[in-house]
Amino acid sequence: MKRPYYIFSSGRLARKENTVFLYPSNPVQHGDKKAEINTQSIQDKQIAEDFKISSELKETSPEYGNDEKDNDQRIGDVNDERLIEVEETESELTEEDIKEDDENTELTPKPKKVIPVEDIESIYIFGEISFNTKFLTFASQNQIPIHVFNYYGYYSGSYYPREFLNSGFLLVKQVEHYVRNEDRMRLARKFVIGAAQNLLRNLKYYNSPSRTGKSKASEEGMKGVVPVEDKTGINDDSAFALHPLTDQIDGIESLIPLIEKAGNIQELMAIEGNIRQVYYAAFEPILGYDFEFKKRIKRPPNNAVNALISFGNSMVYTAVLGEIYKTQLSPLISYLHEPGERRFSLALDIAEIFKPILADRTIFKVLNKRIIQENDFDKRLNYAYLKEGGRKSFVKEFDERLQTTIQHRGLRKSVSYRSLIRLECYKLVKHLLGEKEYEPFQIWW
Amino acid sequence: MYYIIVYDVEEKRVGKMLKLFRSYLNWVQNSVFEGELTEGQLEELLMRAKKIIKAEKDSIIVYSMDGKYMERKIIGIEKNPVGNVI
Repeated sequence: MKRPYYIFSSGRLARKENTVFLYPSNPVQHGDKKAEINTQSIQDKQIAEDFKISSELKETSPEYGNDEKDNDQRIGDVNDERLIEVEETESELTEEDIKEDDENTELTPKPKKVIPVEDIESIYIFGEISFNTKFLTFASQNQIPIHVFNYYGYYSGSYYPREFLNSGFLLVKQVEHYVRNEDRMRLARKFVIGAAQNLLRNLKYYNSPSRTGKSKASEEGMKGVVPVEDKTGINDDSAFALHPLTDQIDGIESLIPLIEKAGNIQELMAIEGNIRQVYYAAFEPILGYDFEFKKRIKRPPNNAVNALISFGNSMVYTAVLGEIYKTQLSPLISYLHEPGERRFSLALDIAEIFKPILADRTIFKVLNKRIIQENDFDKRLNYAYLKEGGRKSFVKEFDERLQTTIQHRGLRKSVSYRSLIRLECYKLVKHLLGEKEYEPFQIWW
Repeated sequence: MYYIIVYDVEEKRVGKMLKLFRSYLNWVQNSVFEGELTEGQLEELLMRAKKIIKAEKDSIIVYSMDGKYMERKIIGIEKNPVGNVI
């Protein structure tokens, strides 16, 4: 079965001998800015020589996107100067300072890595990677979407190859269900209910007495007590939620009936916002009060939990996007979110249902089992920046979760979490074609 | 299905075999490849391999197993880590 490949090293991805080659580049000694610039420009000159195109240089600094457009025609040296210029005007906490902690000071070149193209489902790029159009075309031919993340680990964008499963008929149906307000509301409500039920299930899972394990307090039946020094991790998945989450559970249960009554999208979004607020209030107890989380803040996140939630959500979004690509659905037409100009909004819709299951549970596991700890975050940025080691751990846990199989009640066979996402897409297709009413996926464990 | 495929071909065909197998499976050691493949992918790979080898002189062995019930121990260095986080 094909699987996603997550690339954290820096270097160059190329198509060679009908498969994918990764040529890692030498990591630079910290503080040696000149050397860094030289390696960059050597790499760039190599590429320019090989393919005689100057626009590759854009790839090495994706966050400076639009500024590079007018440099299209200029080659080699002039662009190098721009690179140097731009690097020197970094924000206070320069990339250098952060790289200090991330990179080892080895200078021995790592050997090339060959990746079997038939095994690649999608590629996630976290490191500084350059590639060219030959590679992108190759990815397109093999139906491989490429998701790009920036240096700080935040989602930049995706290369979504040309559709290979086209259905004009389905596209018309998708649009019809958007244009007819009643149909649209029906689907939008289903998405919100699905998300809310999964959020609720999460709270119940972390609230049940069996999860509180062997800690003393629970044996004595003191449900309202938070264990003071119990950091031994005996209790498996989280277990510190001895503070009953009944407040939050009741809160969400009282909001769910309002969903059916919502008349328009704005009302629906408001209810959804309220539900999430109540839900987020339960995070601190579930995490055993080790991590602060008072308010959801994104762009940019202001602390560890916010950073993890943002990262987790973008992983869910890209996973959903990858699955939509394998179906005849167009990811541009959505119902709950407004179809926008530059976003794959249907992926956002479906991701709402899977975020509690995939992202939130991974976050709880990773923090409570101390797979990611305080020192994986950079304290100079109020712990909002997750270092590369931490990101790798999170991604490994997330990938493992996606591959875990469960026994599906309806289908009576074991399916992976990833397949659940695909099945969700197919359910939506059936609804749009009028075959079967869409019921959002409800996690039952 | 998880497959381990090993081959032993004459030197002049070794290069072609390497290039073919590299696009389907992970290289572990010289002439040793392993990875997950679907039935269709396996058929494709073997069909193309059969076109390269000379059946009287060369040999390919295919081991198949369920990836879950497998133990993998390495003695000495691991020449090529088989993982999807790079």
